Amino acid sequence: MNVLDTQASRRLIDWAIIACTAVMALGMLMPFLWLFSMSFRPVSEAYQLPPSFLPPNLDFSNYVAVLASRVPFLQIYANSLLIAVVVTVGQLVTCSLAAFAFARLKFRGRDTLFFILLVGLMFPAQVTILPIYLGYARTGLINQPIGLALMYLTSSFGAFLMRQFMVSQPKALEEAALMDGAGYFKIFWRISLPQLRPALSALGIITFTQTWNYYFQAKVLLGREQSMTLPVAMDVLRGYLGSGNLSLVMAAMSMSILPAVLLFLIAQKFVIEGITMTGIKN
Amino acid sequence: MSQTTFERRGRSDLERAQARTGYLFVLPTTVLYFTFVLVPVVLTVVLSFSFYDPMLGSRWVGFENFTRFFTDPRSLQIFWNTLRFTFFAVTFNVGVGLVLALALNRAMPGWMLYLFRLAFFLPVMIAIAFAAIVWSYFFADDLGVLNYYLRLLGLPGVRWLTDSSMAMTSIIIMDVWKNTGFFMIIFIAALQGVPKPLMEAAAMDGTPAWRRFFRITLPYISPVVFFAVIYASIGALQVYESIVILTQGGPGDATRSLSILIVEQGFGSFQIGYAAAISVVMTLIILAITAVQQVLSKKWVQQ
Repeated sequence: MNVLDTQASRRLIDWAIIACTAVMALGMLMPFLWLFSMSFRPVSEAYQLPPSFLPPNLDFSNYVAVLASRVPFLQIYANSLLIAVVVTVGQLVTCSLAAFAFARLKFRGRDTLFFILLVGLMFPAQVTILPIYLGYARTGLINQPIGLALMYLTSSFGAFLMRQFMVSQPKALEEAALMDGAGYFKIFWRISLPQLRPALSALGIITFTQTWNYYFQAKVLLGREQSMTLPVAMDVLRGYLGSGNLSLVMAAMSMSILPAVLLFLIAQKFVIEGITMTGIKN
Repeated sequence: MSQTTFERRGRSDLERAQARTGYLFVLPTTVLYFTFVLVPVVLTVVLSFSFYDPMLGSRWVGFENFTRFFTDPRSLQIFWNTLRFTFFAVTFNVGVGLVLALALNRAMPGWMLYLFRLAFFLPVMIAIAFAAIVWSYFFADDLGVLNYYLRLLGLPGVRWLTDSSMAMTSIIIMDVWKNTGFFMIIFIAALQGVPKPLMEAAAMDGTPAWRRFFRITLPYISPVVFFAVIYASIGALQVYESIVILTQGGPGDATRSLSILIVEQGFGSFQIGYAAAISVVMTLIILAITAVQQVLSKKWVQQ
């Protein structure tokens, strides 16, 4: 053993690594700082170099200008919210019901059905979108935000996540309630669901952000301006408002990423737990 | 026959109630899953063997759509682009994620870990469609943020998106920025499962850090690495909006991906059957990758 490998030198290496990581972390945040800073600048300063990463003041006039423009930004925002809320609530309901059945109840065909559901994890949106588009075109669901929401009222991922979580929970309380003559629905509602709260939060946050961020499906199904969602609209906005006015685009962008950023700041713990659960339990 | 009668008689009311509730509870998920996933997948496969005409109906064309895909130099170029993107995006997303996890897997104050996770995970939360617009200004030629710093260092500017040999690399850079935090989080959790006493004992014996990594850490976290590679590949094969927003598939076809081709063919030129065939090819690759992973991870675990 040489002298270098002492406690002190190891701590020095630790701090050197942490310092390098900190520089990288700052680099990761650059695009966010830049867009935020830009959204508070007059357009005349938009393309200035060196780029600036801090807002000069808190002048919201760009934000007001986006809302007052001829682009139906509020309508688009409402579409995004509607879809994300309906999908999130829908998945929490359908996936927790299914998870309870798969984890706690015995019925013929249960394991086969669960396997078929799991296969769904491997199908990309690309392989389902054509028939859905053709079907929607016939039923008038094209350009209806609710049409996009319908597609995602359940998910293999959600059912799988919730089932895995439920399997890992103790059954004692549920069995005791069953002995006392409680029905299965009551047991689900009063005992299992409260236990599932961490998994519900994780699934809720993951589903909300995922739905908020859908692009491929939204672009195909919701092409009309009035029915668009934010990710697709942003590129259109860039053309309309854009035409040189970068500051307005960035103000619209700040408003668009706000829900996801807030959710993460408030509930970092649940997001991380949810991701970890999927990764580790495979 | 007697067997079933016996079973039926033996089934208590409770068991019957259980089955009834079970079917009722899986009903919404099952109906929705069949309507929006399984049936559309089957229909896509049928469409991929046909020429679809909304007026005259469909015509069975056998493997014609697939032959067209695998013989047209343009679609092969796009196929190759997608595979190339997938290979590099997966390698760097998983690789950088692992390095970051190793860097953060040491004693540090709680607030620091919170800030690190925030910085690396925030891009994961944001739609890549939003991020790509910001990055398009970072990647710009003359007024771009990245080129400004390169020039500051006395280096020549890079034509990030307009040089056809550079554009794909730029898209991969943005993809790693966007996704690597996800893998970092998974690996941090996995690293916590590596037994500490074993690592400490090896360190005491004077085993160098790199060997401890390959001999102890990596075998322990290998199932998670497998999962990460599969998960990343499935996502990368579908790459769409980052390319649409940054380069529209250009310059030329240099960055066009399968998903872009599907949308162009299916919804632009209404070659529904051909678009279906392309999406079937994409799905088959995903199935193949998943199958390989299943086999490999089983083998690995047995060793």
